[in-house]
Amino acid sequence: MVAERTGFANNLLAVSLFFPVPPAAPGAWMTTKSAHIDTTVEIVTPENIAFHYQVAGPFRRLPAFMLDLLIRAGLYTFFMIVFGLAGAFTSMAGIMWGATMIIWFLLDWFYGGIFETWMNGQTPGKWVLGIRVLSIDGQPINGIQAIMRNIMRTLDMMPVFTCILGLVAMSLNRRFQRIGDIVCGTIVVVEERKWLTGVAKMDDLRVAQLSNYIPADYQVSRTLAKTLAAYVDRRRFFSIPRRREVARHLAEPLLVQFGFPLDTSYDLLLCALYYRTFVADRSNDERIATEFGASPFTPAALADATTQAAQNPFDIAPTQTGS
Amino acid sequence: MKVADLLEQRRKNWQELEWLCERTQMRRKKNVPPAMLSRFASLYRAACADLALADSYQLPPNTVAYLHRLVGRAHNQLYRSRDFNYHAWGQMLLVDAPRRIFNDRCVQLSFVAFWGIFILSAFLAYSKDLWPAYAEHVLTEAKIEELETNFAEPIKGRDPQLNFIMAGFYIRNNTGIGLKSFAGGILVIPGMIISIFNAAFLGASFGYMARPDVPQGHNFLHFVTAHGPFELTAIVLSSGAGLRIGISWLSTGGLTRESSLRKTAVDAMPIMGAAIGLFFLAALIEGFLSPSSAPYWIKAVVSILSSGLLMFYFVVLGFPRRGDVF
Repeated sequence: MVAERTGFANNLLAVSLFFPVPPAAPGAWMTTKSAHIDTTVEIVTPENIAFHYQVAGPFRRLPAFMLDLLIRAGLYTFFMIVFGLAGAFTSMAGIMWGATMIIWFLLDWFYGGIFETWMNGQTPGKWVLGIRVLSIDGQPINGIQAIMRNIMRTLDMMPVFTCILGLVAMSLNRRFQRIGDIVCGTIVVVEERKWLTGVAKMDDLRVAQLSNYIPADYQVSRTLAKTLAAYVDRRRFFSIPRRREVARHLAEPLLVQFGFPLDTSYDLLLCALYYRTFVADRSNDERIATEFGASPFTPAALADATTQAAQNPFDIAPTQTGS
Repeated sequence: MKVADLLEQRRKNWQELEWLCERTQMRRKKNVPPAMLSRFASLYRAACADLALADSYQLPPNTVAYLHRLVGRAHNQLYRSRDFNYHAWGQMLLVDAPRRIFNDRCVQLSFVAFWGIFILSAFLAYSKDLWPAYAEHVLTEAKIEELETNFAEPIKGRDPQLNFIMAGFYIRNNTGIGLKSFAGGILVIPGMIISIFNAAFLGASFGYMARPDVPQGHNFLHFVTAHGPFELTAIVLSSGAGLRIGISWLSTGGLTRESSLRKTAVDAMPIMGAAIGLFFLAALIEGFLSPSSAPYWIKAVVSILSSGLLMFYFVVLGFPRRGDVF
């Protein structure tokens, strides 16, 4: 079942063949389970771009469904009142009630299918909850898939509206697909905004200063860069002893390698490495170093001098605890 | 270039792309101005390139996560679901559906099973010697009572306003039953049990009402004759289409169970579409003609015509053409 690309996309594709590799044939979207132990799927588009989606689980989909039920009930009541009034005033009550019956039928069986086709894989409830239906290969769904997966919902809700069949099916596959999703080859993904957080700001001048002492020929590997970014992102949630504990494994061998005094703060060293990898601009740093005019290796004295020990983010003097 | 500078440089583009996603979200594609479209395209390409190079830029993980979300969102705005293809529906109902129905073993099986059981059950309920208590067993006393009171009065026509309401009701109720048996068909066994029970129950009602000593029988036949062919055929079709999907994950023909299901669901859709059409036609006849005071021969003619129409649809339109692959 290969849906054709939309015209909208075709216009853009004409100008978007920017990759040196020839694009795969239309419909060459692929999806693979990503390496993370997580509910993400990786999608590779014909333009050779791979990106990740988070699959939506039952606890996000159920509220969306409940909301849709409410909207359906509201729509039905609306039509009932409008047609009921129209019938009462025009002596065509029969036709109006017949039409209401048909609208009830359509809302019951085709509400989801029609909205998912018109709203690009979303019903109003899904839109509010920020989830969207896609084909498992990342393409938009087509009308047949949308209608079918909504007809199949009756089966997922068996026995007697408890949704047990659907939940069992969801727990048996890695993409949280209910039976209707499996039959139509669709997944429901989370599509919400994520805020862009830039590079962490290093207010402490000693970070920039220490980063100047790191040997210039030292290359930070990619995995180390990732680790550093993860550490700096989270260190503000850690207490000072906890930072020491976490940073120690990485910092101890590095201190030896760089030939730094072994009582240098581990946390400070990792921050300096982070600074050098992601932020540092050498010319600027030298200026800072001269302005600051002190050595980062005399931490105890500094801590006394600034008298800001309480707000000091770094664990300055490594206390000689039992370890 | 350091990551911090790079991020500072790109931030504006990414945020603009995000804003454009928001703007295009609620618009149909023809309402998006061309300038916005081409801006969107170039920003999307740039974001994709940034994501592709994220590893060599050594972007921090949270920025990469942000980029994944951003590109995913933009991708969904770029590749949108198409509107319903109404032209294809005609093709589906008049060309695909009859050929599939003609060739589909599951529909044939469901047809034979339904009518076999229907006729057998009707015969058992009619005959008082073979299995005297059969009708009471299958229909239960209460149901027989209900049938007899419902058809106690000769059919003399009713308020036309009520006809509209009943037509709407039949569309909702009967098509709903058909769709349920279609969806339930995936679980082969329950679907089959329901179809068999339906056939036995309907057959027994017809057989019982046809007994010469049941006075209401005449009114019953007067009512059911006209819409019978369409409605019964629609039930057969929807359970047959359901059975087709159910069989597809048991006998996969070399595919994986999942892809076999997916492929068959697309094949079964035209059959179900034809069934829905028949349910609508049956509901209109049942709502307007069946309860009317029209003489019996008119209803019989409608019944014969609709049977002929079904034959034409299944055999003439459905006869395999050269080059058909099913």
